[in-house]
Amino acid sequence: MSDHISGPRAIADPVTDITDVFAFPCPESPRHLVLIMNVFPYAGASACFSDAVIYRLRVRSVSIAPNRRAFAVGADEFTFDCTFDVPVNPDGGGELVQQGRCKMPNGETVLFRVNDENGGKGEGLHVFAGQRSDPFFLDGPMAAQTLATRQLAFKQVGSDRLYGKNVLGIVLKLDWGTLLKGGPMFAVVGETLTSGKRPVRLERVGRPEIKNITLGAKIFDPVNRDLEIRDLYNNEDAFNLSEHYVGAYRARLNANLAFYDGLDGKTDWPLDEHGNHPLMELLLKDYLVVDASKPFCETSYFEIEQAMLKERAHITCGGRWLNEDVVDSILTLYVNAGNGPRISDGVDGPIAWSSKVFPYMAPPNRTQAAS
Amino acid sequence: MIAATHMYDVTELPATDGTIALLNLRAQIDSLEADVRLVNSTVESRVGLIELITLRGLILGHIADYQRADEMAEQLVRDAATDGAAFVARARTRAVFHRFTDALDDIDRAERLGLNAETTNGDRAAIFQALGRYDEALAIREEAADRRASFENVAALVGLYSENGEIDAAERLYAESRRRYRGVSPFPLALLDFQLGLMWMNEGRLDDARTSFDAARRRVPAYAPAQGHLAEVEAELGETESALARLYSLAASSDDPDYAAQLARILRDAGCSQFRHWCRLAAARYDELVATHPEAFADHAAEFWLAAGANPDKALRLARMNIEIRKTPRAYDLLARAVAANEVVGAKVMKSHE
Repeated sequence: MSDHISGPRAIADPVTDITDVFAFPCPESPRHLVLIMNVFPYAGASACFSDAVIYRLRVRSVSIAPNRRAFAVGADEFTFDCTFDVPVNPDGGGELVQQGRCKMPNGETVLFRVNDENGGKGEGLHVFAGQRSDPFFLDGPMAAQTLATRQLAFKQVGSDRLYGKNVLGIVLKLDWGTLLKGGPMFAVVGETLTSGKRPVRLERVGRPEIKNITLGAKIFDPVNRDLEIRDLYNNEDAFNLSEHYVGAYRARLNANLAFYDGLDGKTDWPLDEHGNHPLMELLLKDYLVVDASKPFCETSYFEIEQAMLKERAHITCGGRWLNEDVVDSILTLYVNAGNGPRISDGVDGPIAWSSKVFPYMAPPNRTQAAS
Repeated sequence: MIAATHMYDVTELPATDGTIALLNLRAQIDSLEADVRLVNSTVESRVGLIELITLRGLILGHIADYQRADEMAEQLVRDAATDGAAFVARARTRAVFHRFTDALDDIDRAERLGLNAETTNGDRAAIFQALGRYDEALAIREEAADRRASFENVAALVGLYSENGEIDAAERLYAESRRRYRGVSPFPLALLDFQLGLMWMNEGRLDDARTSFDAARRRVPAYAPAQGHLAEVEAELGETESALARLYSLAASSDDPDYAAQLARILRDAGCSQFRHWCRLAAARYDELVATHPEAFADHAAEFWLAAGANPDKALRLARMNIEIRKTPRAYDLLARAVAANEVVGAKVMKSHE
């Protein structure tokens, strides 16, 4: 699962569990960038945002470093903090209504009502928050089976346990020229933090499937074979990893990436003399990179990074669009580096596709569908 | 900008409003129930659903939730007889209904099926504690807290020390466990405050008990046991009106007869004839529950028959049944009170024949 149930803390309280982060140029207007953060896997109809959590999207300007092996991240940060009230019952007998607000980097606040598809509007920002169909799709059991059997276990037609499930989504459509500085490439991270005087980070997500598919398995790790590393990883500032645990993350990433590379019986990602996988440092810096100056593209995940590794200019907006079959992209990247056939998990779409019109994600599923 | 997680000072921990938390608990249950209805549902999701329903039962005081979780766990073991997680799930529901020997058997079975002791020891310790085997429970709990001083492990020690009347240790670890809390769910914090409230109540420190139960209630207003015990403390402190307001609401909404029993006792002490109605309700429900789950309700029913139910003989039978199940200080105390009540009745009978 993308970042669903990604560690003990996330499992303990789904209202803080980020399932996915998306970033893409607005399909409707190139001046706008769309940032989406979903939380609460398997949300039932009564799910609400927490009033004790800050749902934060962090954005920094990035460029490609001179050595073309990493991104140079700008120091200025632009944060969009969404917070929510306790729901009220204004009519006494009708549905509960939850109000939210998004604090923009310039300090201004946009108010909105949860589940109102019109959202709230402020100078340069259009916000929606509410229950939507989970756009992510994956054959999770076969991903687990692949680890257990050490062989690609995906079937031609897979089974998706997220099929027909809902999440709580936060959608920001922002005028990046007005609200952000720098660019046009930006790094995006979604976070949940405790509210209060000294916020504490609970979860953070940049790219999909970093914590579950990439970091989750312990069995290949030569250093910390019994360590549930994901809560530690969630604590970290994506733009400034603490030096205390970075060795543990590197060891885990190197081991697991090497495992995936070996699944087709050949090595497409030779390790360097220190045993480092070529993708390791790039994935360790876990943020979605999107180029807001490029037109919207439906299949652009990781293209900027791949272009960077191949020392060529990227041609797409990168980032991540809602409907992209990102699991197939990740499996193909990890297993054969794009040198072989595209590897599919056998699940090619969610129950409902997202649209190219605000708020983009499909409405929530009202009845349970068989996966 | 972000405090390191081990440094922040927690005077008032931020937690999700109790109403939202309950809505979200329902949202989780609704979604998982739909999942579990599918033919290919996993043991993991079924175990998750059993745990969530049990939690709802605990918070709302719904015995029907416990019963449902118990039935689901029995079915799960039938369907997944080689999966240790299924046996742990059943051990938990059996422990809820005080079937401790059966629960320990399930834990042993889960281990034989491959679950390691680290996974099962918490459940084993909880059962030992419930059985009054404090030393064995303490050894497990201390080892876990030494290995990883998480909120859960330290809070478990608070529960153990507070039940055993070790006030200083419980208070110290209460503060320590709160410092280590890393979430926003109000349920673990409310349960912790409730534990402390029980300790103060057992120590006769009613003002402290009220503070703790009220803290739990403020975290989760629908937390029935906190409301019920708060009412009990208020009644002891002479705040009858407040106690009655709480108990009327609980007795009407919960299928646990404890609230009707408490209400009946307070109304009887206040000389209000309404007490008979609640007494009848409680008596019928206790009889029903003792018939189906004697291990879990013998002690509660005995308390009722000693107080509002006014049937010391029945109370003694149930107190004897209870002491067979668990030899805790509270069970001995209950038996002693039941014996004493019968002696008083016996003396009265004797006197009437003199």
